[in-house]
Amino acid sequence: MADKFEPTPKAKPIGGELLLPAAAILFSIYYFTTITEVPFSAQVSALFVGSVLILLCCLLFIRTFLQVRRGEATLGIGGLIEPVSYIPIRLGLLALTLGFIFLVQWLGFTLTTFLFLSLAMMLLNGGRRKRFIVAVSAVLSFGGWLLFIYAFDTRFPAGPFENLMASVL
Amino acid sequence: MEFSLDIFIEQFARTFTFWWVILPSIFLGLVVGAIPGFSAANTIIILLPLTLAMDPETGLTFMIALYASSRMGAGIPAILVNIPGTAGAAATPLDGYPMARQGKAQQALAISFVSSVLGGLLTTIVALLAMPWLSQVAYYLHSVEMIVIMIFGISLIATIAARDTLKGLIAGFFGLMIGYVGADVVYEAPRGTFGFLELYDGVPLIPALVGLFAVSEAFAVIEGESILTQRGRELMQKGGWGGTIDGLRETLKRWWHVVWTSMIGLVIGVVPGAGAAIASFVAYQQSRTFSKTPELYGTGHIEGLIAPEAANNGVTSGTLIPLLVIGVPGGATAAIMAVVLQYHGVTVGPDLFMNSPELAYGPFTAMAVTYALMMLTVLPLARYMSNITVVSTVYMAPIIIAFTLVGAFVPREYTFDMYLALGFGVIGYIARKTGYHVAAILIGVILGPLLEQYFLRALRIAQGDVMVVFSSTIGNILWAMLLLSIIFPYLMEARRRKARDRDATA
Repeated sequence: MADKFEPTPKAKPIGGELLLPAAAILFSIYYFTTITEVPFSAQVSALFVGSVLILLCCLLFIRTFLQVRRGEATLGIGGLIEPVSYIPIRLGLLALTLGFIFLVQWLGFTLTTFLFLSLAMMLLNGGRRKRFIVAVSAVLSFGGWLLFIYAFDTRFPAGPFENLMASVL
Repeated sequence: MEFSLDIFIEQFARTFTFWWVILPSIFLGLVVGAIPGFSAANTIIILLPLTLAMDPETGLTFMIALYASSRMGAGIPAILVNIPGTAGAAATPLDGYPMARQGKAQQALAISFVSSVLGGLLTTIVALLAMPWLSQVAYYLHSVEMIVIMIFGISLIATIAARDTLKGLIAGFFGLMIGYVGADVVYEAPRGTFGFLELYDGVPLIPALVGLFAVSEAFAVIEGESILTQRGRELMQKGGWGGTIDGLRETLKRWWHVVWTSMIGLVIGVVPGAGAAIASFVAYQQSRTFSKTPELYGTGHIEGLIAPEAANNGVTSGTLIPLLVIGVPGGATAAIMAVVLQYHGVTVGPDLFMNSPELAYGPFTAMAVTYALMMLTVLPLARYMSNITVVSTVYMAPIIIAFTLVGAFVPREYTFDMYLALGFGVIGYIARKTGYHVAAILIGVILGPLLEQYFLRALRIAQGDVMVVFSSTIGNILWAMLLLSIIFPYLMEARRRKARDRDATA
């Protein structure tokens, strides 16, 4: 019996495929807890959609279990994180993106974009061609200011640079 | 409200004199359409003071040209970097992006431009001729029928993600649940908001689009030097105008495909609230269902690119019909046009055709002239735009993240929306890596609030009887069509498999 769970050499790691269904089930259950107070007519459509979603996720779990049992797949998450060498770069880019969103409300669009583009491009390029990257970042962030804020008058997040330019122009 | 050829010809000639408004609007529309977060509706709102300062005819022409060209603009980043500029172009990357990766970006852009222009022109003419009849479509569609149409939309997800129908359905229904987030429209109770006030109005569409498509794509593309495959790089090096000419020829060869998929867009455009996103997915799905080579869809198939592009441009004419004929705007941009017209003391509706025929027919002739001028001005740009695909991902990924995240900020000016876009980016990245379709999640998010509204309305009318969804004749016909559209591809596939087996044994 144990042999049935033995993965074959070609077994696909499909554990990562369970992440979204798991999140979907958790979210649906949470959603249901927030509609207990409203009348039934307002619950029906969410109950219908949520129930179908949970049912579909269960079907996927059963299918995955059967695939693992037949040795066609494993519960590894390799497919999700491959290539492994890019994990630090992805995490670095994610941290920079979070920093961008956090800083943009204080430093404004132009300065934050310049900083983010410079650092992210250097990260992805392994620290090579620094001068070129700084120049490209400067041109793009200034061009963005010129097009969106100056020409289109869009309300992008404003900071020291935008305020200075507004007082000068 | 009879169609008058004399008025139309006179109006058409007259509209050409507005070329000085149309040309700048075309380029502005292309730019705003290409940037997620900058829809034509947003831009018209930003430029509202300018529009109000113009006379009604010039203002309308300006808005129409911007509207039509932004539809085309939204397809450009969808093809080049897998990021639709608006939700209406969400089906475009399904085949447009694989073409770009294969080094056929120029051809793909040309196909997109030509099918957009032909689809737009054709539906404009049909809209003019069939306006009295098409305007009746909206009268026959009530809550029950709309529920079926919405579920029809969801069923498309299963067939779009046909490589794994179960995953497609999970993605779509997960999107629907996310679309249900927000305060209840009747009882105002917050549902699924995690306590965030910013989600009380529901999940905003632009951050969802930006996150699912742009942010997740940026995190995914860094594995390669550029988005191009090895073969794609070799093809791109050839350069020249070949791709544009090929694209033009291939689209004209499939003129019938352009005709019927753009008609899908026109009819769906007439339904208030349905919009370009649904139209392009319906057209894509129908195109694949009736194709002799459905297995090629999703791999860079020309017909898979023509269908959504022709359909989402067909919607532009369709949305104007309920606005002009019955005074009900078919979409956000049409609603803004109504506001501008009202500002000038023009009341839309049947009387408009009697009182101000130049304003009633004007939007359609403006659209026809815009599309004609677009063909001349935009098609030659395909060659140069296609070069974006060779830009290194080292530069491309951070640019995509920075500019699209700020695009997510623009509509509501909440920093929260940028965090939301990043959250959707993580969901999108996991979805891409594990075989769930991000477009399926997005269409769920779009349809969720609409489905809930119609569901609630139908149940209130039927005093809570859920069988109301089977109470209408049109609704039941639509249910039957829905079932057929799910079963038909399986029957076709079984028939093909049988034929293959027969050939193999012969």
